[in-house]
Amino acid sequence: MSTDQNLQNLQGNRACALAAIHAGCRLFAGYPITPSSEIAESMSAELPKVGGVFVQMEDEIASMGAVIGASAGGVKAMTATSGPGFSLKQEALGYAALTEIPSVIINVMRGGPSTGMPTRPAQGDIMQARWGTHGDHPTVVLVPWSVEEVFAETIRAFNLAELLRTPVIILFDEVIGHLVETVDLARFQNPQITDRKWADGKIEGFKPYRDPGDGVPMMARPGDGRRVHTTGLSHGESGFPTQNAGEVEKFMSRLLGKIAKHRDEVERIDARCCDDADVVVVAYGITARAAHRAVSMLRDQGIKAGLFRPITLWPFPESAFKAVAEHARLVLVPEMNAGQLILEVERLVSDKTTVAGLNLFYGEPITPQQIVEKAEALLSQ
Amino acid sequence: MSDFQIRLSGSGGQGLQLAAEILAGAMLSVGKRVAQSISYEPTSRGGLSRSDLVIGDEAVDYPLVTDLDCLLILDQIAVDGSLDIIRPSTVVLMDSDRVTAAPKVECKLVSMALVRAAQGIGNVRTANIIALSALAELSGFCQAATLRQMVEERMPPRFVALNLDALAKGIELARSAGSPE
Amino acid sequence: MSDVAQSEFNIRKYIREDLFPHFMCPGCGHGIALRALLNAVHNLGIDKNRLAIVSGIGCSGRVGAYIDANTFHTTHGRPLAFATGLKLARPDLEVIVITGDGDCLAIGGNHLIHACRRNLNITCLMLNNEVYGMTGGQVSPTTSTDRFTTTTQSGNYEPVFDACKLAEGAGAAFVGREMTLQTPALRDLIMEAIAHEGFSFVEVLSDCTEVFGRKNDMGDSMEMVLAQKSGFRSNSYGTAVDEPFKPRGMKTGVLHRSERLEYAAAYQQHHAEKSST
Repeated sequence: MSTDQNLQNLQGNRACALAAIHAGCRLFAGYPITPSSEIAESMSAELPKVGGVFVQMEDEIASMGAVIGASAGGVKAMTATSGPGFSLKQEALGYAALTEIPSVIINVMRGGPSTGMPTRPAQGDIMQARWGTHGDHPTVVLVPWSVEEVFAETIRAFNLAELLRTPVIILFDEVIGHLVETVDLARFQNPQITDRKWADGKIEGFKPYRDPGDGVPMMARPGDGRRVHTTGLSHGESGFPTQNAGEVEKFMSRLLGKIAKHRDEVERIDARCCDDADVVVVAYGITARAAHRAVSMLRDQGIKAGLFRPITLWPFPESAFKAVAEHARLVLVPEMNAGQLILEVERLVSDKTTVAGLNLFYGEPITPQQIVEKAEALLSQ
Repeated sequence: MSDFQIRLSGSGGQGLQLAAEILAGAMLSVGKRVAQSISYEPTSRGGLSRSDLVIGDEAVDYPLVTDLDCLLILDQIAVDGSLDIIRPSTVVLMDSDRVTAAPKVECKLVSMALVRAAQGIGNVRTANIIALSALAELSGFCQAATLRQMVEERMPPRFVALNLDALAKGIELARSAGSPE
Repeated sequence: MSDVAQSEFNIRKYIREDLFPHFMCPGCGHGIALRALLNAVHNLGIDKNRLAIVSGIGCSGRVGAYIDANTFHTTHGRPLAFATGLKLARPDLEVIVITGDGDCLAIGGNHLIHACRRNLNITCLMLNNEVYGMTGGQVSPTTSTDRFTTTTQSGNYEPVFDACKLAEGAGAAFVGREMTLQTPALRDLIMEAIAHEGFSFVEVLSDCTEVFGRKNDMGDSMEMVLAQKSGFRSNSYGTAVDEPFKPRGMKTGVLHRSERLEYAAAYQQHHAEKSST
């Protein structure tokens, strides 16, 4: 046993704040809400040290508005909230998606609906993160399962937001947000940082929403002389509003398709013991930590179990999951909700595979033992 | 599964999070890996509060407690929530005044007047540190010197002397209590 | 800067002509407000590459698109929130918000009072036409008593917001009001508002002939603005508004100004002091 200088005890929420700054975030706008407030608190202390701006706004909507405004100005920006605040931010999230202004939104999930259980963990915002704002829109959602992964995925969220010009949501639950773990951040010393593709070249005739090929337009930086118009109204390549069916169809196809064009960079999974698995447990966040333990407990009993863990929850890593689920007899989806991701899982398996949920939503994390018992019960049927 | 599991429980405002943070820091300083989680109620003071630690030689795979090695109970409100994860080998340290009905499960129970001892050394808020010190002394998961070092590092300077007294008081109480039944 | 300022104002240099004809109804006061704003921008020598116009939703929200600058048409009620982030991120930009009585005082009311309190160097023009025009003429927080709208079909019975008094009370560094009929005065007021360090609030008394005036038999645009003129008292450099909830007694001109420390300057100063100690 020797002490390692790189090791430190770090809280999930604080790791998120430190990683954001590491990724280049220079503006945080937020509003106090349990159980995410430590992110804002850390940002208020850390951002001024690097010349950044922390601002506590008057409400959740304003926080999201300020983040989008800052990012439109060219500064990487983030906000953090929990269920009630996430609901309030939905309209602005749709605005960011349509106008293609990068932003990072943290939702530390707590028990819901409504005020629910502010200090208790839940995973009830899986579908809200996908479909919360009105209309069809691209969505990128990441779900880390540990403090170290919160750090890694926060950096990745900023990179993806910039790469794709879209809001990126990180979901973690109260347990992960408040969890303190011994972490080694040495490997993050010089992280790969992605910056936005800023418009260059000729100003005359610049089209702010023209597809350069990868589905992600170059962004004009205010002050660069391009003087573009940004609007939440449906618009064409010029950025000005249109209701022309052909123009809108072309725009929306690009908008919805740009994530798929970067699928390799967006999708991330963690599959453990899945190669020979009869039972595949699909889990994310703190529930995946329990599932991981449960898988080894089941293996100890001679049951071939595996863990499939989407780190990118949306878009759901379809082909990776299909490859794992193909040979499974049983797919078990434990969630701290009444059954949300299971809907996506059911869609992707064949008739030969049984899909079952373990759905507990009373504010306590799902235990490894509960997952083991559920798997045993299903297998003995 | 060889991880060591500790729960510090009581009511909000008893300093359990701080005690857990000090313990987590102490364990890190001797090369251990920790996972520390909390559970609390949406009130700033009062209400159930607990802080759990899982301590391992390697990175902790499942960060929440399932089978406790040690349990501190500083308030009656915290008794019921831990019954399922107390084992016959669990060392349970409870406050003899604040806990009126001891957990009715097989365990190694020790009862001490921790809060009263804190009042005795001049500050009721030191009950958390007295308890932590006593628990460490009873079950040996952390050296007294390591806790002392952590208190000196983490506590605001004006509270260091008081908390060093609290550590000493905890050891004294543990020694006079003898080994857990 | 001086080259531009010395030249004569030519609105064509500041608008996106290819977007014309514009969306505004005949007689709408918003176009006059737009011209006054652009004239002020010209007179102050503001480089349009450094000009950011942020608007919300409604008729006022659509005005910004005609300005040849960095223009942001945001969500309903939120231009001030958006502008706050933009200005904090890019203090080099001249950030001007164009909003309306519904956008600013109803759905965006919370942002207004906190923008005033925070005192960031933003200019906010609230085009007050007493009605939700874009959605077909519903009652707004500034609709005068007894006026008919599509949601007050027997006349408005709700009290009226005095936006300037609200802004002053909430801490805005500069507060003024002017009507579109007094175009040179409006232009000069906007110039002062932009030039003032801190949050500047200007209420522009516009008129909605099409969905408000018509429903209330107020005549054509000229009749409406002349009626407006007779109802308001010019009171340059006046102090506070003395009769709340009586719009016809409202004063125009500069109503309030203070040299309160601007937000970004306060932020810089605070953190510089904290890091040096």
